[in-house]
Amino acid sequence: MLRSPDSKLRAPKTPSRGLFLGLIITLAAVISYSGYITRQISGLRELQNNLVDRNRKDSLQLLRIQNDLNSLGLAMRDMLDNDEPYPLTAWSAQFERVHTDLDDALRREQQLAPMNRTVAQEQYLENSVSQFWDAANRIFVLAGNSRQDEARTQIRISLRARQEAMSTVVSRLLVQNNEGEEQAADRIAQIYGRVQRQVYLFLTATLLAILFTSLYLIRSNRQLFARLATLSEQRSELAQKLISTQESTLRHISRELHDEFGQILTAVGAMLTRAGKHAPEGSALRAELREVCEIAQDSLEKVRSLSQALHPVMLEETGLESTLDWYLPVLERQAGLHVFYEKSGISFPIDGESAIHVYRVVQEALNNVTRHSGVTQAWLRLQFLEDALVVEVEDHGKGFESGVTKQGIGLVAMRERAELLGGDIEFAHPEKGSTGTTVRLRAQRERLVSHG
Amino acid sequence: MSRSGRGKSVGSHELSRRAFLNAGIASLGSTLLLPHLFSNSLHAESSALNPGFRFADVTAQAGIRFRHNNGAYGGKLLPETLGAGCAFLDYDRDGWQDILLVNSSDWPGHKREPKSETNSLALYRNNRNGTFTDVTRSAGLDVEMYGMGVAVGDYDNDGFPDILITCVGQNRLFKNTGKGTFIDVTNASGLAARQAMSTSALWFDFDRDGLLDLFVCNYVRWSPDHDVFCSLDGKRKSYCTPEAYRGETCWLFHNRGNGTFEDITASSGIFDSSSKSLGVAMLDYDRDGWPDLLVTNDTQPNKLYKNQRNGTFKDAAVDAGIAFSTEGRARAGMGVDVGDFDNSGKMGVAITNFHNEMTGLYRASDGGGFADVALQSGVGLASKDKLGFGCVFFDADLDGLLDLAVVNGHIDDTVRNVNGAGYAQPPQLFLNRRRGAFLDVAAELAGGFNQPKVGRGLAYGDFDRDGDQDLLITTNNGPAYLYRNDQSSGNRSIRFRLVGTKSNRDAIGASLKIFYGGSNQSRMVKGGSSYLSQSELPVTFGLGKLDRIDRLVISWPSGVTEEFKNLAAGRTYECVETKGISPEQGF
Repeated sequence: MLRSPDSKLRAPKTPSRGLFLGLIITLAAVISYSGYITRQISGLRELQNNLVDRNRKDSLQLLRIQNDLNSLGLAMRDMLDNDEPYPLTAWSAQFERVHTDLDDALRREQQLAPMNRTVAQEQYLENSVSQFWDAANRIFVLAGNSRQDEARTQIRISLRARQEAMSTVVSRLLVQNNEGEEQAADRIAQIYGRVQRQVYLFLTATLLAILFTSLYLIRSNRQLFARLATLSEQRSELAQKLISTQESTLRHISRELHDEFGQILTAVGAMLTRAGKHAPEGSALRAELREVCEIAQDSLEKVRSLSQALHPVMLEETGLESTLDWYLPVLERQAGLHVFYEKSGISFPIDGESAIHVYRVVQEALNNVTRHSGVTQAWLRLQFLEDALVVEVEDHGKGFESGVTKQGIGLVAMRERAELLGGDIEFAHPEKGSTGTTVRLRAQRERLVSHG
Repeated sequence: MSRSGRGKSVGSHELSRRAFLNAGIASLGSTLLLPHLFSNSLHAESSALNPGFRFADVTAQAGIRFRHNNGAYGGKLLPETLGAGCAFLDYDRDGWQDILLVNSSDWPGHKREPKSETNSLALYRNNRNGTFTDVTRSAGLDVEMYGMGVAVGDYDNDGFPDILITCVGQNRLFKNTGKGTFIDVTNASGLAARQAMSTSALWFDFDRDGLLDLFVCNYVRWSPDHDVFCSLDGKRKSYCTPEAYRGETCWLFHNRGNGTFEDITASSGIFDSSSKSLGVAMLDYDRDGWPDLLVTNDTQPNKLYKNQRNGTFKDAAVDAGIAFSTEGRARAGMGVDVGDFDNSGKMGVAITNFHNEMTGLYRASDGGGFADVALQSGVGLASKDKLGFGCVFFDADLDGLLDLAVVNGHIDDTVRNVNGAGYAQPPQLFLNRRRGAFLDVAAELAGGFNQPKVGRGLAYGDFDRDGDQDLLITTNNGPAYLYRNDQSSGNRSIRFRLVGTKSNRDAIGASLKIFYGGSNQSRMVKGGSSYLSQSELPVTFGLGKLDRIDRLVISWPSGVTEEFKNLAAGRTYECVETKGISPEQGF
């Protein structure tokens, strides 16, 4: 039975579920974090647009207003200096230019005024400006009516004071904007701080997730490799058992053929020979009996041959080298393959159990040469080393087809037999760059002599 | 390597490399302006080696030995850094442009050696053979004054141009007697009532009554008695920036027609005590036929005085986008000129500024506004490290497109010790490469044109009557330069000298438009422009290889419009208002 009795070899739990869970957690974390960051950035942008940028633009307009007020102040100074040869009405165009610009600046400033601007503040500025221009117009009317001194007095006691008051209001608004910008800067700093903390948290969580997932993957891999090793061992064991069973069966059939059928046919032959002697000389019966006797002899030869082919009994009786000495001429006769057989080293006895595996490897290798190489020559080398036996079967034929990775059952069996011998087997080209195949089996001496 | 090391001996390899870089900058600008102009920039690069003309320094050859004196004795008085101007004028009406150079005097109590030498104006009469004769004394102009600028105009319509010299203190009006002499009519004209630190001035007929009126720029309220101590190092006195002084209004004087002027500064709406004006140009930016004024102010917003056709002006500079830089900052406006440099029929503007501020090059839009295209055009970056003063649009290569010449020079001779910017700086000539791209080719013009100078005044005029416009440059406390324009491209031109009958006799304010083969060009006869200077009044159109024009349309200041057809190139025409046109032999 192939079913393993070992409960440990049952399929381990698949890591996919764990990995999928980890992926979902990671994706959820990334999505959540992205959402969080997007929210923070939106908040930051809103803060900048609504507060910082608006404040900055408003401050620019306030500076423009301040500049206009300053121009008015300088113009009033020149008017009071009274060192120009022109009447005060000469300044009306200058005032008008500033008026136009001031109105535009105030309109824009009102649109940009920060949220914290109070209605009272806006009202105050509006009223101050309005009153200033009323006063200025009255002064220019006075000047136009040749009341220059009165107009100058009005400038001195009223118009300058109004201009200075407006300037103070604008300065206060600028300070307020500045404070607003500082507060916004604080809030921005807080947001950045928060985001920074969240980034660290997210990084930590991500690193932990990666760590746990990696550990889980390592553990799963280990289990998988262990299972693979067990399966490989089982497969090897099974193959070896199959080989042993096969050899045992073949040996049994071989012996039965040799011993039983051989004995029977030998007996039949002897009996037929004796019966022939009783038949009259030159009779038809005697001729037929001789013919039957020849058939029996022929069958006996075939049975012995088949028996040898299935399992050379010689292996146990006379050893590997004798078996090969017998086998190679048979092969040459049957398959037309001329094998150059070389032996080197001091031979040592190999027990029957091991010899059959060596023999089968040689047999399979030479069969492969016959079937696939397309050549009629091969070399078989037996090297008896001090600690090992090396068997090489070489041909100069087509060799292995490159790219063919699927191994035939014969090659698998050769590997398993090498395993059984505690050795290894390799398939290579005879020389670098040449065609053909070399099958090299190396088996440890101690296994060859003590096996079984 | 400083540009001063170049000049005539520059190698061809270096020449081409520099031309390539210049073209690259210009092409960058043009690419920004119009993305499809790459091919144009290539054209600019390939032809930059041969601008089609050269300048020859003929100052000495022409007999001009003038040297400006700024009176500097170490007191570092503000006006010393600013003068002085120059003018091309035909004072004797012989058809040949003469030269007037303004000079300043020593400060009272600081007469420099030799004491006998005077620092008067210099009037050079054109000898019609490439040389000039100094006729200052015989003309009655050997008068010492701290002169700054000059405006030339026939205010009394007697056919002979009169001269206003702007000064620190009292401006002077010299009436041309028509007999080769001038008489000082400052007092008689009523101009003696005003004294200031005047700079540029121009004659124009703002009310179109046929009489030239006078506009005078004033810088700041300064007098030797009220000089302010300024210092860069806290110890030694240095020249002050204008922020240290109060502004001074410009003046507008109405010509009564009896040889006297009325100060209408206040009633016309020109009055502005915050102005610190250095340059003025006349233009018709709203194309209503009434002359407007563009005034450049130093550290103050420029003013665009729109003529309201009722004797008053209204400042429209902010709305027109020309008061401030594109960053919204008031720059140090110095010189100014206007011209239809893109042949759109609308007048563009060039304004020179302080170094690091770039020259402003404004293209007029259909709505009456201006857009600063200095960067896109290639003028901006090339002028960033320059302190520009005089600037004129003129067709240097006679290809039908107005080019731009600028003279540069710092105000402080110690500037190189402060921030490395040179005191003397090379003049620039930006060749118009079509489609808004300009390329400075000063280095290719020979004659030492691009040698660093402390440039101030700049004017053009065809003194040798060869049909192209020559340049006159003045320097602060240094010599004047006369550069003769020598064409090599074979380009042709056509010139017009206008004589008003109903309009003012100089026809200042008249606009001319020529049509040929589907193209057109426009010019205006204008006084003023540049810096402290005045160019010739005759108008020159470059025609490339054309030998005639289809039409000429003149819109006279009086409102009369005249049209003349099929005019041959290569000569000057005298156009008398309502009395036809007559060609002269050659130019």
